[in-house]
Amino acid sequence: MDATVGTTTLGDAAAARGGIRRRLFGEGPHGSDLNWALAFLVPYVAVFLLFVLYPVGYALWLGHHPESYRELFNDPIYLKTIVNTLVYLALGVNLHLFGALMLSGFFTRTNWRVRSLFLVYILPWAVPAIPTFIAIHWMLNGEWGFLNNLLYAVFGIDGPSWLNYRWLALFSSVGAYIWKWMPFWTVIFLAGRMAIPQELYEAADMDGAVGIKRFVHVTFPLLANLYLVCTLLSTIWTLGDFNTIYFVTGGGPALSTHVLATLGFRDAFEVDNPQLGMAAVLSALPLLIPLVVILMRKLAKTEVQI
Amino acid sequence: MSATTAGAAPTIKAPRKRIKPFALALELLVCVVILIWTLMPLYSMIEVALEHQDQVFSGVLWPANPTMANFWKVLGQGYWYIAHFWHEMGNSLYIGISTSILTLIIGTMTSFVIGRLRIRHAWIVSNAALLTYTIPMAFLAIPFYRVMQIYGLSDHLWAVTLVEVTFATPYAIFIFQQYGTSIPIQLDEAARIDGATPWQIYWRVYLPLMAPAMVAVGTYALLLAWNEYLYLFLLLSSPDKMTVPVALGRFLNSDEAPWNLMMATAVIYALPPVIIYYLFRRHMSSGLTMGGVKG
Amino acid sequence: MSGIDRRTVLKGSLGVAAASALARPALAKGQTIKVWWNQGFYPAEDAAFRALVKDWEQASGNRVELTLLPGQALNEKIISALTSGDVPDVMYADNAPAQIVPQNAWKGRLVDVSDIVEKVKSSLSPTAIQSAQFYNAEEKKRGYYGVPFKGATLNIPVWKSLIEKAGYKMSDVPKTWDKFFAFFEPVQDKLRKKHMRHTYGLGYTLSTTGDDPNNTFNQLLVGYGGGGIVSPDGQLHTKDPKVRKAVIDTLNSMAVPFKKGYVPPSALNWGDPDNNNAFHAKEIVMTPNDTISISVAVMDNKKWYYDEIATLQLPLDNDGKQVPALLGVELAFIPKGAKNIEAGKDFISYLVQPKHLGSYLREAKGRWLPVMPEIVHNDPYWLDAKDPHRPPAVRQGVLGPTLTWFYVFNPAYAQVDAEHVFSVAAADIINGMSPDQAVDKAFSRMEAIFSQYQIPHQA
Repeated sequence: MDATVGTTTLGDAAAARGGIRRRLFGEGPHGSDLNWALAFLVPYVAVFLLFVLYPVGYALWLGHHPESYRELFNDPIYLKTIVNTLVYLALGVNLHLFGALMLSGFFTRTNWRVRSLFLVYILPWAVPAIPTFIAIHWMLNGEWGFLNNLLYAVFGIDGPSWLNYRWLALFSSVGAYIWKWMPFWTVIFLAGRMAIPQELYEAADMDGAVGIKRFVHVTFPLLANLYLVCTLLSTIWTLGDFNTIYFVTGGGPALSTHVLATLGFRDAFEVDNPQLGMAAVLSALPLLIPLVVILMRKLAKTEVQI
Repeated sequence: MSATTAGAAPTIKAPRKRIKPFALALELLVCVVILIWTLMPLYSMIEVALEHQDQVFSGVLWPANPTMANFWKVLGQGYWYIAHFWHEMGNSLYIGISTSILTLIIGTMTSFVIGRLRIRHAWIVSNAALLTYTIPMAFLAIPFYRVMQIYGLSDHLWAVTLVEVTFATPYAIFIFQQYGTSIPIQLDEAARIDGATPWQIYWRVYLPLMAPAMVAVGTYALLLAWNEYLYLFLLLSSPDKMTVPVALGRFLNSDEAPWNLMMATAVIYALPPVIIYYLFRRHMSSGLTMGGVKG
Repeated sequence: MSGIDRRTVLKGSLGVAAASALARPALAKGQTIKVWWNQGFYPAEDAAFRALVKDWEQASGNRVELTLLPGQALNEKIISALTSGDVPDVMYADNAPAQIVPQNAWKGRLVDVSDIVEKVKSSLSPTAIQSAQFYNAEEKKRGYYGVPFKGATLNIPVWKSLIEKAGYKMSDVPKTWDKFFAFFEPVQDKLRKKHMRHTYGLGYTLSTTGDDPNNTFNQLLVGYGGGGIVSPDGQLHTKDPKVRKAVIDTLNSMAVPFKKGYVPPSALNWGDPDNNNAFHAKEIVMTPNDTISISVAVMDNKKWYYDEIATLQLPLDNDGKQVPALLGVELAFIPKGAKNIEAGKDFISYLVQPKHLGSYLREAKGRWLPVMPEIVHNDPYWLDAKDPHRPPAVRQGVLGPTLTWFYVFNPAYAQVDAEHVFSVAAADIINGMSPDQAVDKAFSRMEAIFSQYQIPHQA
């Protein structure tokens, strides 16, 4: 359809558009629009067909052998690994998202102190994971690590051997994970806050809602959907994170801080059994699929509302 | 309220607040806490980067003889692991920026269709995109290795870019969709009345209003590629395709690794994305002081 | 032979000689082979390898596309290639013999390289030859699936200066197993009295990550008489009381000093570089480590290299007999499905000609041991009396009695090592489990793993 025809059609329909648009809600309005839509969709559809279908299909095929799962369940550390993964998810995801939400509010302040602090604050996100987590691994060394040296110098106490005990090591990894990824979510929530029209805040100010009240009644309801989507996605991504545990604790002490991602990695690349490694990650599907379904439902609701 | 009130300097605008002393103290306290929290691991890296070779593990809080020599050595490519530092940095930037741009383009185009053009079954696209995340990136190594061989892309920088874009785009689409719900559809409709094609609406209405989200997503995509390690050596083989993270990995190969150089390299590597973010940061402040109240 | 001049004849006969030296039909020219090689530890090592590649390119008229990557990264790339089927022509990675070759030979994914090994067999040590034979479950027999070219054994670097600071002399160091390791405990006590608060006598790596824990445990096991845990026919002998006692003794020899405070507590989570770092920072007096890399790493510090650090060989066992050293042999291997197998074989043959191999290994500052005794005898570099570290390593790993690693006999042991079964057992004892319980737990896991890799007797 050429532009003139389209314009004419649009012009005619303009007057009655309000009502017609409601009735046509959800339907492709015009032929030319449909063509545009398809054209706009081509890039992502191409990416999807070329780079998602085959790789994901291949991966699922790698992990489809039942004997892999039998072998997996017979691994003495599998149960411990599942517990670790759940703890890692519960603490890691929620703490760092909540922190990001709170800090995103802090970073909306526009004075120079906060603005320059923000640049330092996002450094953990930019610094490469491997050297950083190695540095954290050294920092936490019980005998000569930086942290214990600091504790001794400032408070005179002998810090524990952080990585020698399962739970201390796991929580240290969670801490490292939060440290690295909280800045990312802060930036996202900051952008989300930018979408909130200024008038709403002014209206709230008029009504005397400041500080916490403003957050509870204005900000959070508007960010809620974003927060939920981010929580779900972060859970999915944290399930796949192995760098943190691998370099901070190495899965130790005595294999007690492995999570599914590190176990799968070990099985794929150190035991050289990629199918077993894939089985380890796929065994999280019972957790993953409900999350993905909830996410799909949530996203379906983000059609533009008037 | 319509777009036309946007320009008028609102007389209702809140007067510039003076910060009360208590609030200032609180703000400073939060600043200090955040500073310590952020800097502690970074500090332990910088501390190592400032040490001489044989004092790397002297266990002190501040180097006895701090030296910037390691940083100069990295920038001057003075050690064999980083003998091609600048070329590798160039490759990293190429991959990072192309990932960012491609993700922004594909992400905005797709979310535009789903969110603004209201095609009936567009939600299928965003749901399908979620399939990308069912398997963690690290475990798609073998499949992607195979795929790139099949497509003849192995040992091309674009192979890595395409992998990163594959993983960044679904998230980009979601964020743009979320963000886009705050942009009233009346703006699109007004543009249509004026005779705009969807492309023009996309280019002149949608993208400028999405600017804060685009900065956030662009940074995200850049840093996704920046944080990559596995795919960089998996999909690339020739020496001229190596990147800084692979160079960092070389330090892990040896027992005599000069950790001070590794940490110096890591610190330097962290700076470009922060600089890029800083350059685009002013677009983060909202263009949305106009527009209808969202229900 | 009228009409043909002498030079042509000479060239012709040289050509024939060269071709028969390679013992194969002349290799076609103009091919390009893909070689994936582990990054060296020194620039000179990589430079030497590149020079070797160039020489081969000129000699054979073919080209090499060389990829040099660090070890762990290379492992992942190799495994991805072998799993997906898109493979290069020649591969070598430091960890491959322990983590990749046994499993892939088992599955029949590697090319048989007997022809290359046979040609240099007379130069190779018996252990090196045995270390190249892996069991192929598809053909139900062993074959040569890698070409050995260098090796490493466990050495014991110690700080002479710290021992002397504690008031002892190097001649005080006992010669037999238990007394040797026990010696470092009073050394630590004396150093502590001299205010070296953070120094520990024994630097055992007790973590469940990396190679050091396995290198340490398995060698100590051999020292206690447990070398029969897996026999060359691939059978597991956990029911042998001698093996059981050896395992218990080994675990105790690590766990008891730890509990008494003679091993750094953080050793429970050391990554591979951590014991090296601790040693260089003088926080441990000794640490068992494969190769002499700990010493060579500080070669530029003349005082340290020549005066303060010593490389000790394994002590004699408790009965005064020499303990064989487990020899980790590095292999070059060729995957099935490689596009240029003949050219790849030719390249490897070139590498393992003794004179090429000798100069390549010398460029690596002697960090790796030759697997051909003649190299050591022909080149004074290896036993140079002026160097305090290389000769002990060479005497132990090339000239002394050596043992093949257990993962060569059965891939199941490769998995046992990858799962760090024995490090877990040591940690269990440290946490209070009785040695018998810990060993039972370890053995039952081993037996479960071995049940998946059953090799019929007489294989």
